[in-house]
Amino acid sequence: MKIALLELRRRPGRFLMAAVIMTLIAILLMFLGGLLDGLIKSSTGAIRAQDGQALVYSQTSEASLLRSRIEPALRAAVEDVDGVERAGGLGVVQLGARVPGKGPRDLAGVALFGFEIPPKGVPDVPPRGTAYADETLKSDGVEQDMTLLLGPARSPIQIVGFVSDTSFSGQGSLWASPETWRQVLGANRPDARLAENVFQALVVQGDEDVASRIDPATDGRTDSYTIEGAVNAIPGVESQRNTFNQILGVTIAIALVVIALFFALITVERTALYGVLKALGGRSRTIFAGLVTQAVVVTLIAAAIAGSAVLVLDAVIPAGSIPLDISLGRIAISVVLLLAAAVVGCGFSLRRVLRVDPASAIGRGS
Amino acid sequence: MFLALREIGRAKARFGLLVSAIALLVFLILFQQSLQNGLLTSFTGAVKNQSAPVLVYSVDGQRVLQASVITPDLEQRVRSTEGVGEVGAIRQGTFTGAPLTESENFDTSVIGYDAGADGEGLGAPASLSEGRLPTRAFEGVASAADARNGYGVGDVVRIVPGDAEISIVGIAQEAQLNVGPTIFVSNETYLELVAAVNPDAGVPPPNVLGVAPAVGVTDAQVVEAINGQSLELDALTRSDAAAKTPGVAQVQQSFAIIFLLYALVVPCVTGLFFLIVTFQKAGALTLLRAIGASARSLVWSLLLQAVIILGAGLALGILLYLPVSQTRLGGLELQFEEGAVIGWSIALLALGLVSSLFAARRVLKIDPMEATTGRGVGQ
Repeated sequence: MKIALLELRRRPGRFLMAAVIMTLIAILLMFLGGLLDGLIKSSTGAIRAQDGQALVYSQTSEASLLRSRIEPALRAAVEDVDGVERAGGLGVVQLGARVPGKGPRDLAGVALFGFEIPPKGVPDVPPRGTAYADETLKSDGVEQDMTLLLGPARSPIQIVGFVSDTSFSGQGSLWASPETWRQVLGANRPDARLAENVFQALVVQGDEDVASRIDPATDGRTDSYTIEGAVNAIPGVESQRNTFNQILGVTIAIALVVIALFFALITVERTALYGVLKALGGRSRTIFAGLVTQAVVVTLIAAAIAGSAVLVLDAVIPAGSIPLDISLGRIAISVVLLLAAAVVGCGFSLRRVLRVDPASAIGRGS
Repeated sequence: MFLALREIGRAKARFGLLVSAIALLVFLILFQQSLQNGLLTSFTGAVKNQSAPVLVYSVDGQRVLQASVITPDLEQRVRSTEGVGEVGAIRQGTFTGAPLTESENFDTSVIGYDAGADGEGLGAPASLSEGRLPTRAFEGVASAADARNGYGVGDVVRIVPGDAEISIVGIAQEAQLNVGPTIFVSNETYLELVAAVNPDAGVPPPNVLGVAPAVGVTDAQVVEAINGQSLELDALTRSDAAAKTPGVAQVQQSFAIIFLLYALVVPCVTGLFFLIVTFQKAGALTLLRAIGASARSLVWSLLLQAVIILGAGLALGILLYLPVSQTRLGGLELQFEEGAVIGWSIALLALGLVSSLFAARRVLKIDPMEATTGRGVGQ
């Protein structure tokens, strides 16, 4: 172990190239992971924030708020379900918002929600004509007390505060009263207009299993999910997650092969030296532990450089361009996966280390 | 040369690992190239492959078909713009489609256009691979990628709620929108669908206008003329409309960074491998030089090995990619990208060879005299 660390310290150049490759692979892993997290976060925040045990859509909506329609009679049926304590209407309309001080063609994409039960982190329903804005909209120049003009009808919405992590479909959200939402929807989207007391979905508070009881109780006229289920049911979320995880898996496999290749070559190079070490009483276990230590140290150095690089990348990428979300959790997961790949990759050299014959040291050059 | 081949044959595990690493990298690069192209085609194919040369959005729509709304006033301004020839209303909405042959429902984009008697109005699919354009109410042309999901010619798709049924009479290649099944219908059919699904809905104005320039006027000229009419109009050529759809640039930027990183890893791995191998066999190379082998022949042997290994890695990577490129990923239809295969093969081969030149430089530094001292280039 000591020899391994000493070699790393005295001859770092020998490990430089492997460290460079591992750094590139670590950046790839963290960047891809950050991209996945950013995509998911920006499209699901508003649903994740819902404060309830179930989200109820109409039967044929395919978990799409825009296509769902809950009429008062259906709402009453949901409210009567055993275990339901409270149900609140929810609706959304996606529009372009004119931000004061911006050019006439420079609009911010917003998703205006009307809600009855405040989502987590959102204060009580604001007065008519006002809304809380997701803080991502600050990058579009949105400020407190500013009045945005929404859609072709230029519906005015005054911003009375900011909330966080409530984006929807990649757009910053606005949280308003049901009346405000309904008025803006009707004025700007005649084809999506909804009558008084009709909502797109219901947020249901009740016991933990309430989501599973609603659809049977409404004779299948509803399509109910737990909040986590509703997040996963958003079109594209599952396929995005699966595709990215497959790419991340293959990238880990590449890291494993690179480590295996590098340390197999190093082992071949040192076969004679290992023979001498064994002849002097060194155990195969000690020699292999030295290899693993070197692989772990190289990987940790690479991961540290990569982690810093992606944090810098995250800081310099302009808000609203690439949906990158670099978190310490994602960096930690990437480091753990890389370390596992490094240890497994070293395993390929184990057989070669075990095969080294101490007798081969006799007669070899110094 | 003979030695180079024999060395590969005798150290199969060592060279095999390098081939595996390169193959995996090539596979990932090509797979992601297909993913990117498939994503962009499925996202905006219906915009790119429709017949209107110019599309006019409202600025509020932010270049999203469904989000744009053309008011009567704006429509009048477009129609009266100099250089504008034909104008057609285009509407788009997302509905729940239930093909009668399937038990599953699909998010279905429906595009309404002024089909006319022959179905060839502005906004129609640019070309059909099968069947014909819609000429009657409740007929539609579907995107080819979804034919196997109950959107083929002769199939019937029920739009729920409301239970309006659309008969598929034609198939258009690369005509998806929002990575899902897409149906082109007449505007009359579209309005019937909106009313059936949402009884509270009013009559929706067009989402965008399809424009054909007058004779002698170019697409770019008519775009400029329309945008000059009002700050609320956003006219784009067909290809610009597809390229500037929100999300497209982000997808391209994200993939560009990913490709750059993968492309850097390939030469690094190749260069590192041959550099280490050169160090390891320094003694043997010195001896070869001492008994008369020229430096040039040793370098050529090294480069030959690099070409063989890179070639094998590329071939294996492409073989892995071939079956995957024929599959579907969620709603996404992947395609074998010949251009990407050729382009990346040349680029990676060149980069790999360049990186192995570092090892070649080491070989050129070998002094045959050192054979007498037992020292090699690596010591």
